[in-house]
Amino acid sequence: MANPASANMNAVRETMDVLLEISRLLNTGLDMESLSICVRLCEQGINPEALSSVIKELRRASDSLKVLTLMQQ
Amino acid sequence: MSGCQGNSCSITGMLGALCDCCISGLSWKRCAPGAVSRESARRILRKRAYGALLAGLFQDGLSKPAPNALAKTPSHNKILMISFDLRVSGHDEEAERLEELLGQLRDGAGLSELDSVLELLVQLAGSVAPPLLSF
Repeated sequence: MANPASANMNAVRETMDVLLEISRLLNTGLDMESLSICVRLCEQGINPEALSSVIKELRRASDSLKVLTLMQQ
Repeated sequence: MSGCQGNSCSITGMLGALCDCCISGLSWKRCAPGAVSRESARRILRKRAYGALLAGLFQDGLSKPAPNALAKTPSHNKILMISFDLRVSGHDEEAERLEELLGQLRDGAGLSELDSVLELLVQLAGSVAPPLLSF
């Protein structure tokens, strides 16, 4: 008989795979690692709209950093 | 992504991991002395992340705009609306797959905040360019 904990783990893994594919179809730019972190942040009660602002802001900031580090090399 | 700290459980830890994901592709090996280091890049990103996260707080005294009909629409329905847009623009296959995946989520997803996650995906929809097709 399957262990309930491992059955739940499998359900979560399958859900994450489905969410990742939805995310790709929607062109959100999230990879599995970022998506998992976002799911956990949502489960901690972070507002999804605020979280989307954070992600967009981080992309802008990291783009600037990428340009800066390329210029410094 | 090697730079991500997947085991952090606190909100601060997870935000830090999200910042690390953003700079994981950068090379720090050949940076000149005095240039932006990995640590300073992390600090910059964290500051920007907290700025964006906390921007909506402390605004209780200000008048908030009335929520429109779309804001009240369930995230599931918003994805169906995106699917409709895909069909209208001739992407029937993607629309079909999107609806199929959405249907799979309805049957016991194993996540407690599925609606919030779907809302996040809706908010980020189209925020990057679609992948280039190979010929």
